[in-house]
Amino acid sequence: MRIVIVDDEPLARAVVREFAAADPEIEVVAECANGFEAVKAVAELQPDLVLLDVQMPKLDGFEVLELLGRDQPVIFVTAYDQYALRAFEVHAVDYLLKPFCAERFEEAMGRARERLRARTPVPVEELMRDVKPRAGPAERVLIREGPNVHVLPVDSIDYVEAQDDYVAFKSGGRQYLKDQTLTAVERTLDPTRFVRIHRSYVLNLDRIAKVELYAKDSRIAILRDGTRLPVSRAGYARLSELL
Amino acid sequence: MHPILSRPSRLAAYVAMWVPLGAALASLLTLQHVFAWPAAVAFALPLAVAFGFLCLSSYYGSHASTRDDVPRTVLTAVAAAFISSGVWLLLARGWLAVLASFGRITTGASPFREAAPTLFWFGFLLYLLAFAVSFLSHTFEAARDAERRGLELQVLAREAELRALRSQVDPHFLFNSLQSISALTTADPSGARRMCLLLADFLRDTLTLGALPRIRLRRELLLAERYLEIEQVRFGDRLRIDIDAGRADDCLVPPLIVQPLVENAVTHGIAHVLDGGIVRIRAAAGATRLVLSVENPVDPDRPRGKSTGLGVVNVRERLRSAYGAMEARLDASEADGVFRAQLELPIEEATAYHSNDAHRHRG
Repeated sequence: MRIVIVDDEPLARAVVREFAAADPEIEVVAECANGFEAVKAVAELQPDLVLLDVQMPKLDGFEVLELLGRDQPVIFVTAYDQYALRAFEVHAVDYLLKPFCAERFEEAMGRARERLRARTPVPVEELMRDVKPRAGPAERVLIREGPNVHVLPVDSIDYVEAQDDYVAFKSGGRQYLKDQTLTAVERTLDPTRFVRIHRSYVLNLDRIAKVELYAKDSRIAILRDGTRLPVSRAGYARLSELL
Repeated sequence: MHPILSRPSRLAAYVAMWVPLGAALASLLTLQHVFAWPAAVAFALPLAVAFGFLCLSSYYGSHASTRDDVPRTVLTAVAAAFISSGVWLLLARGWLAVLASFGRITTGASPFREAAPTLFWFGFLLYLLAFAVSFLSHTFEAARDAERRGLELQVLAREAELRALRSQVDPHFLFNSLQSISALTTADPSGARRMCLLLADFLRDTLTLGALPRIRLRRELLLAERYLEIEQVRFGDRLRIDIDAGRADDCLVPPLIVQPLVENAVTHGIAHVLDGGIVRIRAAAGATRLVLSVENPVDPDRPRGKSTGLGVVNVRERLRSAYGAMEARLDASEADGVFRAQLELPIEEATAYHSNDAHRHRG
């Protein structure tokens, strides 16, 4: 089993390395000191399992998980976090509590092997919903393009469009694809600044120039840069409430 | 004991208050042509003073009543007024007989019958008034007592809260330190032992210093240094320490007043910066003020909404309870990726506290 260790503390990585060395079936393919390195390493090395510290600079463990997606098995490692522990229990996500012993580590590896065989997906969205609401609306959106991570401040988002299995964040003429549902996106954004104007669109209120009647019961929103987006009847009701 | 009877000066004032009331009664009786002037005064003044003593009984009636049972209180007052006024009428009758035997009363055929209704209503209403005053003062007193008890409870609660704050050790810090020790035991056994000792010293100091009213700044900064050394084991090169208090070392400060700021510097600062940086602690003593500062790098891209942490709130609370509202302050500012917390305290004389911490803590 090929694993990646992600922890900003050298000593914490050393413990995992030591325990992993005792198991001939485990190969440590990378050690990362932060979330950006972790995303890069996972994209390039495709490990079987990631051991992920929760408290890290820049990107915390949950943000890394969100970027890795539901197909990458992970085990969280944390010292103390009541909210996170409850969420892990509820969604059956495996975790190790610092400090942990070799036996506990082996146990977790055993469970990870079973999950790998069964290809159990990681309940990323459910977990994020339970861990993050206490932090309030998102201030930035994280997007992964291969080994790179884009950090998009929410102010820079013009609108979000649903595209098949993805959502596209449109920002200053560029588009960033993310493996997520538009409803999940809508939930994380500040509801006083972003509004679902249509089944397929969430719009940044700052970008609206005007709303025009297009046909009976259908309207169109014209943005500052001239982009035209359809507005459904329910979307128009939500929009009028905010404007 | 009755509050008016308990002091001669109060009693004198009370009796004096009834003299004009007696004069009022006398003029009332004169207007009704019951008595001529001098006779009216001779009759009414002593009677009024006597009634004053009868009215003192209203104190007991009103204190036995409760605020909640209004009908019962009113009934008590009316009954007491009726009885007192009746007793007073009997007194008046006796007094009239005494005056008549001295030949002082000349007017009217049966002066008592003419004076009786006036006397009765006069006494009845005055008694009710006395009862009301007594009842209200009692109620106010009870309210003031309740308020004072409430304030006392608040003070107690605050003290308990402060004690709790002082003894608070961040669980993250504890578990992460234990994890570091666990890691060191195989890789660096002597490092593990050193870490255990640092942690033990830190915990012991946190517990003992918190119980003192003031400590020397030197002690406080030694604690901060131990804390930072422990965190240095975790963070390695990412955490660098720079502490310099110069001659301010000897100043007195409330215990653990700097510690929360230093913990903030690590958990909200260093821990979020990829390359880490320096935690810099400075102290400078002027003639009357001590200025303390803690600086640390912060991640410029960190989410803005996040609070600066409970630490700052706790420190402000503790400053308020140690020095009052205006004497001490804590300011936080941020410039060029460096967060700075600055404490300003009054400089105090050691004699104000019988603190022997200088020779009490020697390791």
